[in-house]
Amino acid sequence: MQFNVFLSVAKKEILDNIRNKWVILVSLMFALLTLVVSYFGSIGSNGWQDLGNTISGMTQLGSFLISIVALMLGYATIIGEIERGSMSALLSLSATRFEITVGKFLGLGAVLCLTILIGYGVAGLVIAVNVSNVDYLAYLGFIGMTMVFGLVFLSVALFFSTVFSKRSTALGGAIFLWFLFNIILPIIFVGLLATTIDFTKITMETTLIVPDWYHVLNLFNPISVYSSLIGMTIGPVQSSTGSGFIPNPSWYSSGLLMGVLLAWIIVFFTLAVWRFQRKDV
Amino acid sequence: MVSQLVRCPTCKTTISLLGEPGEKISITCPNCNQKGIFTVPGEKSQRTIASDSAAIEVNNLTKTYNSFTAVNNVSFRVQKGEIFGFLGPNGAGKTTTIKSMLDLIHANTGAISINGINVRTGGKEAKKSIGYMPEKVAFYDNLTALQNMMFYAELKHASKEECIRLIDEFGLGDAGKKRVGTFSKGMVQRLGMARAILGNPSILILDEPSGGLDPRGVVLIRDKILEMKKKGTTIFVSSHILSEIQEICDRVGIINKGVLVAQDTVEGLRKKLNLKPHITVTVDAISGKIENAVKKLPGIDSVKTIGNNTLEIICDGAMKAKVILAISTAGANIQNIQTKEPTLEEVFMKYTEA
Repeated sequence: MQFNVFLSVAKKEILDNIRNKWVILVSLMFALLTLVVSYFGSIGSNGWQDLGNTISGMTQLGSFLISIVALMLGYATIIGEIERGSMSALLSLSATRFEITVGKFLGLGAVLCLTILIGYGVAGLVIAVNVSNVDYLAYLGFIGMTMVFGLVFLSVALFFSTVFSKRSTALGGAIFLWFLFNIILPIIFVGLLATTIDFTKITMETTLIVPDWYHVLNLFNPISVYSSLIGMTIGPVQSSTGSGFIPNPSWYSSGLLMGVLLAWIIVFFTLAVWRFQRKDV
Repeated sequence: MVSQLVRCPTCKTTISLLGEPGEKISITCPNCNQKGIFTVPGEKSQRTIASDSAAIEVNNLTKTYNSFTAVNNVSFRVQKGEIFGFLGPNGAGKTTTIKSMLDLIHANTGAISINGINVRTGGKEAKKSIGYMPEKVAFYDNLTALQNMMFYAELKHASKEECIRLIDEFGLGDAGKKRVGTFSKGMVQRLGMARAILGNPSILILDEPSGGLDPRGVVLIRDKILEMKKKGTTIFVSSHILSEIQEICDRVGIINKGVLVAQDTVEGLRKKLNLKPHITVTVDAISGKIENAVKKLPGIDSVKTIGNNTLEIICDGAMKAKVILAISTAGANIQNIQTKEPTLEEVFMKYTEA
């Protein structure tokens, strides 16, 4: 295992991807929308505790757009190189598949984190200008957690790029993944919940009692885990699961949710290495 | 290395194996596809040591894709410092063999060593001595030629100065700071050759290095191959340009439908096939009398009239004097005589005609 291989591959990934027009386009869109949300959310606020909706909006934007950027960065990183022919030249050098996968993850992760840092960094400046008594540490934590969330999608995309034998199918897989986590899974989970709860009897005064299995299921969707984590750790945001109106259970903790996100990264990264080791190039 | 004959338990086909004592070799019977594992008798050694003079050693390589056998029990050796040409029709298994040599694809059975190191178990070490130019040369389009070369240089522990020199040597000096995405196919191909020889490897593996190049590019690549040979580099080259292979290679191997059907020097292959030279005789005017005089000679394989003053005769080289005498005796004025040995193309066609 050679550290210089990790660094060389990571550096190459950064150079290659910061010039990728699609990544630039989506990142700009993310930065612009975040700027709009943070500006209009902060101009009339009365302080940090008043920013709940703004941070929630930024979280929502993050889960939609950061997942796209991560999937776009990662879906073709292995299969794209195999299909194009550059992977065979890379593997003919004294670099192992593990070293290449680590290098790619580090490089693409750096590009992703830079995108998040620019987008939320600009928003942070806007908030700092318009809002008094900003909890900068909490805001930095928010950026850090978003980075971890982005790395989850990057890790899943990396695995997908080793599974498919064509770049085009990998793209289809990435699009499906985005729909799965952003739309399909939340609908399925809430649909399952609807079969056990009579929503017609719920009033403003009723305390919604949600079964534990629903919260367990939500741990299998990184988007739900991310929004619950932000809700539990960032002061102004109310605690809620990905479906928005259901409160987090008492047994959710920031440690558990962060652990789940890290587990997603480790499991899918390991699967990507395992699959790539067995793949013919 | 120990050579061993194994009999397939299902169809009783005899399979030849080469392996280290104690080594477990997975076998797929080329006849009935029965799979099995065979342990080579004797004590296990730490490292696969090829003979001192072998730079590349491939033993009993087989690669199948579902029911299709791409490479079937292929074995060959490339000696240090030689240029070995690897020929075969499209889809014969050339690229599969090359990719197996680099451990890019995982062979079903067989052992491959580079400078004595097994590529499966010691790939990282084995690949340190290799420069490779794939059939499909590709770079990172968003990076410049120099940035691309610098990336490979870092992994090969080569210097920036060497990158710049090679870019210049391959006629890409002006384009060094342009993105590779803007390059023509020929420019990419030339940069691919520059990448292969970066770091001065002791073994060069070139898969169709002249593909997509203009004549000037072909000459450039050929000269570079010969220059590398002079430095003592072992070169394994696969190409469809048979005249080029004939010109530069010390030995050739011919693969057809996944089976290595021949390996020898071009001269050796000609002899094995008993291919005879072509004697072209130009006279003032051809007549039936002259043609018959040649045809009547014993040991003449064929006589063909080209135009109205040339005869092409295929016969043993030793017959040349008798042919000249017969033509002169028949009353012809000989203006020119040329003897052409059978080309590699003829050898190739013979071996791959089935």
